[in-house]
Amino acid sequence: MATCFNTPQVKYNSALRFERHGIPADELIFSPVVRFVGDRVAAVAATSPKIAARALSLLDVDYEVLPAVFDPEEALAEDAPKIQPGGNLVAEIRAETGDLDQGLAGSDYVFTDKYYTPRPSHIALEPHTCIADVSRDGPLTVWSATQNIFAFRVLLSGIFSLPMHKVRVVKPPVGGAFGGKLEMTIEPVAAALAMMCRRPVKVELTRREVFFATRTRHAAVVEIKTGVNRDGFIQAQDIKVITNTGAYTSSALNVLGAMIDKAFKQYRIPGMRCQGYPVLTNTPVAGAMRGYGSPQLILAREVHLDRVARELKLDPVELRRRNLVRPGDPNPRSGATLGDCYPLECLELGAREFGWDTWRRPILPPHKKRGIGMAVGVHGNGVYGVHADITGVTITMNEDGTGILFTGAHDLGQGVITILLQIACEVLGMKQQDWSVIEADTAYVPWDLGMYASRGTWVIGQAVKRCAETIAAQVKEKAAQILNADLEKLNLSGGRVNAPDGSSVSLRDVVWEIQQKDGRELIASYSHRSTFNPTSYGADFAEVEVDLEQKTIRVIRFLAVHDVGRAINPLLVEGQIEGGIQMGIGYALSEDLKLDAAGKVVNASFKKYVTPKAADMPTLKVMLVENGERQGPYGAKSIGECATIPVAPAVANAVADALGREIHAFPIDLRALSD
Amino acid sequence: MAKKRLRLTVNGVLIDREVEESLRLLDVLRDELFLTGTKEGCGIGECGACTVILDGKAVNSCMVLALSADGGVVETVEGLGSPDRLHPLQASFLDHHALQCGFCTPGMLMSAKALLDEDPRPSEEEIKKAIAGNLCRCTGYVQIVEAIKDAARRRSPSEV
Repeated sequence: MATCFNTPQVKYNSALRFERHGIPADELIFSPVVRFVGDRVAAVAATSPKIAARALSLLDVDYEVLPAVFDPEEALAEDAPKIQPGGNLVAEIRAETGDLDQGLAGSDYVFTDKYYTPRPSHIALEPHTCIADVSRDGPLTVWSATQNIFAFRVLLSGIFSLPMHKVRVVKPPVGGAFGGKLEMTIEPVAAALAMMCRRPVKVELTRREVFFATRTRHAAVVEIKTGVNRDGFIQAQDIKVITNTGAYTSSALNVLGAMIDKAFKQYRIPGMRCQGYPVLTNTPVAGAMRGYGSPQLILAREVHLDRVARELKLDPVELRRRNLVRPGDPNPRSGATLGDCYPLECLELGAREFGWDTWRRPILPPHKKRGIGMAVGVHGNGVYGVHADITGVTITMNEDGTGILFTGAHDLGQGVITILLQIACEVLGMKQQDWSVIEADTAYVPWDLGMYASRGTWVIGQAVKRCAETIAAQVKEKAAQILNADLEKLNLSGGRVNAPDGSSVSLRDVVWEIQQKDGRELIASYSHRSTFNPTSYGADFAEVEVDLEQKTIRVIRFLAVHDVGRAINPLLVEGQIEGGIQMGIGYALSEDLKLDAAGKVVNASFKKYVTPKAADMPTLKVMLVENGERQGPYGAKSIGECATIPVAPAVANAVADALGREIHAFPIDLRALSD
Repeated sequence: MAKKRLRLTVNGVLIDREVEESLRLLDVLRDELFLTGTKEGCGIGECGACTVILDGKAVNSCMVLALSADGGVVETVEGLGSPDRLHPLQASFLDHHALQCGFCTPGMLMSAKALLDEDPRPSEEEIKKAIAGNLCRCTGYVQIVEAIKDAARRRSPSEV
C-alpha cells in the first residue's frame, strides 16, 4: 500500500513542460492534507482489481475536517480558508496595449457584462490508464496514455530522484485526450507501487474517477467592459478573468497567459487591458482542455459583443466585420505579424452560405422559439513567444527504399502521424505504406515539447518537411551521379528519382548505393525551433430551436468556416472541426461538473453529465478558407483547438436571439432563465 | 470463487470453459479470450464502447453477466472482417474517416452491424437512433453516420 507515509514527498507541478520550467510546485503523489474530493490518499497493489478494491474498502482513514471553499470569488476573500500556504490567489497576470482609459472615455457608449463559464470534462472515451515497471532492474518504464512523454520523464525523474536515462516513458495508442492527458495524474502512483512490489503495476481509472480525479477545463468568471463608437468601431476593452484552478496550481498560469495572449489577436482595439486571476479552491483540479483559455474568453467576449450589437442596433456580423483583424495586422503586444490570417473571409463566406441576411424567424407555436447566432474564434499554433517550441525528428532510409520516421509526436486520434507521413511522402515521392513510425517513446525518439497547443502540424510538420528535404538532397546528389543528370532538375515521385530525359533510378537503388558504395547510412536528424506563431480563426453560425414547454434547446443547423492556411488532409480537418462542434455544443448547453455542498462532484457519470449524442447533432456543414500561411508546411496552420472555440458562443448567441434576452451563465439553464 | 461452465459461440468459434460467476461478458472477451478489440469506457452501460452483438442484438457487454449469455452467439469487432477482407462497414469507416482515436469504433461498428443486419437500408434517423448509446468525443458523429449510410449502400445484394 502506498500513502504519503511511504512515498517521496517531493512537490511537483503536474503541468510542468520541461526541465526548470519554474511553475509553482504544490502537488504530491499522496498529500497528507486532502484538498478536494478526488485527491489521492492511498493506493493498493494486488494481483487482481477485485482484491485491490476489497483491500481499499478495508482502509480506515481518520480525517481531521478543515474548512473549505469551493467558489473562486469567495476564495479571494481575506478570511477564506487558505488552500496552499501562499494563499488562494496564484498570481495576477496583466497585459495592456494602447490607452484603455482614454479609449473608454472617448467612446460613445460603454457596455459592461459579467459571465460565468462552466467546468466541463474532456471525456476522452478511454479512461486514464498506465503501467509502471522496474522489475527487470532496468529503467523505470511507464507506459501511459499521455500527451507528453518528455514532461512526464522530467517529473518522474524529479520525484523518484532518478537520472533521466533511467526513466523511460512510452505512449501506446491513446483513446482520445483533448488536454485531459497532458498533466500527470496516476503515473507516479503506479511507479511508487511498482518500486515497492518489484512487479509491473497497472493503474486504470474508472469513468467516475476520471470525472473528479483528473483534470477539467477552468471554470471562469469573465467581466468585460467595452467602449464603442456609434458606428460600431470598438475603441477600448477591459477584460478581467477569475479562473478556478481547483486545489492545485497545475496549469493556472499557462492557461490564463494563453487566454490573455488571444485577447489581443482577434479585433482591432486601440486600448486594451486584460487581467487574470487564477484562484485555488477545494475543487477538482483544472488543467489543459482543448482551447486552453480561448473557450472561456471567446464565449464571454462573443456573447458580450452580440449584446453590444443589439444595443447599437447593428447586425452582429457587421459589428465583427468592422473590427476583426486583417491579414498582416500586428499583434499590438509584440509588434509581430499575426500572419496570413483571414477571419474576415471566414465571416463573409459563412454569412453568405448560412443565409444570414435573408433568414426570417419562422412562425411557430408560442412555446417554440427559433433564433440564429454567430461567433468568431481564435487560437494559436504552438507556444512560440512563451517558451522554446522545439522538436527533433529523425528519418532513416532502408536499403529497400522504405523509411522509418522517429518522432516525439503523439497520435491521440487527431491523426498527426498521418499528416507527418503525408509531408514526408510529398518531399520524397513515397507512399504512406513505405513508412514505419517510431512514435513517442523517450528511449527512441528525439526530444519534443509535447502534444498540445495545436502544434503538431505547425511545428512537427515543419521539422519533418525539413528533415525529409535533407534526405531528398542526398538522394538527388547520388541519383545525379548514377543518372549523369543535372541535380537541380531531378524530381522524386513514385519511389523513383526522375530526370527530365525520362531516365530514372529507384529510391531502393539509390539508398543501396549510398550504403554499399559510399559506405554510409542515409539518415538525417533535424532539430526544429519554431520562430513564428500565427493565428488560426473560425467563424461559426448556428440556428437553434428552444422549446419552452419541454425546456429543451436544439441546435438545428450549424455552419463552421475555418481559416486553416491549407488543409493537408481535408477529411482529417473536417473531422477535427465536427468533433469540436460536438464539444462546443456541450459547452454551451449541458457540460458542467456540479458539486454538492461538500464539494463532491454529483454528476460523475455519462447519465448525469450530458454530452451531445448522434441524434443531438445538428445538420452540419464545414467550409475551409485556404489562402495559405506562408511559413507553414505547405501553407498549413492549426485546427485542433480552434475547431471548438467559436462553437459555444455561436450557439449561445442563437439562444439569446431566440429568447430575446441576455444570457450570462453557462451552460445555459432554461429553468434558471425562466425564474 | 465459484466457477461455472460457459458455452459461447464467439465469432463462429465454440468456446467451452469454466469461468467465475461474477465475470461480465466483457471480462470473458477481453481477459479470457484476449479479444481486446472490445473496449471499456465506463463499465456501467452508458458509453457503448463495449458493444457486441449477442444473439443478433447489440448489447453493452459490460452489463451482461457472462453466464447469463450461456449458449449464446457473440459477435465482436474481431469477427467483423480481416485486414485483407474488411467488412463493408470497416471499409466505409476508413473511407469516410469515421474514426479518430478509435476507442468508440469497435462498439460503433457492432451497433451499426446489428442495425444493418436487421434493416439493410436504414434512414439517417434510424442510424442515429441505433448509435444513440455509443458515445464519441472525437468525430461529432457526422463522418460515422455518413460511413454507415454508405456501407448500407455498398453491401452487395448477397449480403443483404
